[in-house]
Amino acid sequence: MLQLANVRKVFKSATESYVALDGVNLDVRIGELFCLLGPSGCGKSTVLNILAGFEQASSGSASANGTPIRGAGRDRVLFFQDAGSALLPWLTVEENVRFGLRVRKVARADWDAIIDKYLKMVDLDRHRGKFPAQLSGGMRQRLQIARALAVEPAVLLMDEPFAALDALTRRRMHAVLLDIWQSTGKTIVFVTHDIAEAITLADRIGIMSVGPRSRISKVIDLNLPRPRDLTNPSVARIFMEIEALLAPDVARSEERTLAH
Amino acid sequence: MADIRDTDLRESGEKREGSSLAAAIRADTLRVPLLTLASIAIALLTWQVMSTFIFNPFLIPPPLEVVRTAIPMLLSGEIIADVSISMVRVLVGFTMGSLAAIVVGVLLGRVRLLHDLVDPIIELLRYLSPTAMIPIAVIWFGIGELSKYFLIFWGTFFIVLINTVAGVWRAPIARQRAAECLGASQMQIFVLVVIPSAAPYIVTGMRVAMASSFMSIIPAEILAADSGIGYLLQKSSMLLQTNRIFVALLTICVLGFMVDRLFRLLVDRTLTRFMSFVTVT
Repeated sequence: MLQLANVRKVFKSATESYVALDGVNLDVRIGELFCLLGPSGCGKSTVLNILAGFEQASSGSASANGTPIRGAGRDRVLFFQDAGSALLPWLTVEENVRFGLRVRKVARADWDAIIDKYLKMVDLDRHRGKFPAQLSGGMRQRLQIARALAVEPAVLLMDEPFAALDALTRRRMHAVLLDIWQSTGKTIVFVTHDIAEAITLADRIGIMSVGPRSRISKVIDLNLPRPRDLTNPSVARIFMEIEALLAPDVARSEERTLAH
Repeated sequence: MADIRDTDLRESGEKREGSSLAAAIRADTLRVPLLTLASIAIALLTWQVMSTFIFNPFLIPPPLEVVRTAIPMLLSGEIIADVSISMVRVLVGFTMGSLAAIVVGVLLGRVRLLHDLVDPIIELLRYLSPTAMIPIAVIWFGIGELSKYFLIFWGTFFIVLINTVAGVWRAPIARQRAAECLGASQMQIFVLVVIPSAAPYIVTGMRVAMASSFMSIIPAEILAADSGIGYLLQKSSMLLQTNRIFVALLTICVLGFMVDRLFRLLVDRTLTRFMSFVTVT
């Protein structure tokens, strides 16, 4: 479905060049929920932006359904952590969803039914007249989800969408996302630095090493029933396994942050 | 804890029953308007006392004297005529200047190359205040309406331009990319996302430009006109009519204040959606 083969990404400035990614290989299957996990500064967002088409790989190939990714594709919708700036603040909840339908030239006669369906799905239909500023952080993320689903993409690319939410809201959003994923069968690539979040959501977790020259060092197939309880011994074991894998990188990531 | 708060509430509730006016003041609904009135009243009183007992009333005519002069000027329509002449000049120049600046600003904000080419010139020209341009404006356009339009245009253009460019630039990338993902074309992103995102900046620029227009119309009319508030000032000065000068000065204060309020009201009525936005990064 989504493929990265030997992707290298170099960021050049006037004085130096930085090899952010080197030898990244990724194969996301249709209908799968894939989590990219790694400490901050490991290039997770860069990978996601390459998949979305907003960044180009310096070498290597990126493809969706076998066709090379060039520019933003209509079948892949990128999600932003800061829903406040991704939504259109001058449009109401309902109008934000309608905006997507309008620019995608969905037949006008279908608009109301589609808007109803997806606002109900994320439980925002009672707030359709509100503006984004009047919504809580969790509601804004739900609106971002409804707006994306309404244009019926095959793939959702989510860049730490729930990182700014409080713990309770985040748990609720995980349930919402899993529900939607199970009922719509979308392919989802979900970027996070939170091990618990990755374990709660993912079919498979790709672990990224810290930069420079980040790569996906290991892919873990979870193969556990949902909902997953972190206190369950088999789940806890995987948590500790991943934590041990990440530990040296987390330390390096911290040093790097200090050095900068 | 809950108990203490309850008693607090009850006590303040009882106090409030005592006098509804005092309650309204405490509740902040009347505080600001009352303080505004008090501020003006105290200023007028001080002015009256000072100009009667301390300063020469000919140099600083007391407020009552100014009002006595103003009434016939108002009744004869003299002030109205001058005000409307100045206002038309400001409005024509301001509207044209704003429109031109928004069009150019949106272009410069979007086309980097164009911006980098034009920006150095703008950075130099914007230090030429409308007042500095009066002598050449008179030679170019005479002392008629055209030179006033030009001067107000000149003053408005650069202020609105710089704000428009900043607004277009600061349209959040996430917002544009999100729209692109949903399927918006570059043109749709520009018209439906970037320009509305820039609206608060543009409107702020226009408000500042409106204030500056009011300041620059006066020197323009003093130096080169035969009508308008500035001309009224100039004529009264030549005739040493300080009362009439003060009437003109007060008119400018009141007018500027009212136009700004009107502008804000218009913006509130039409653009509220675009003005109140979530903090952006």
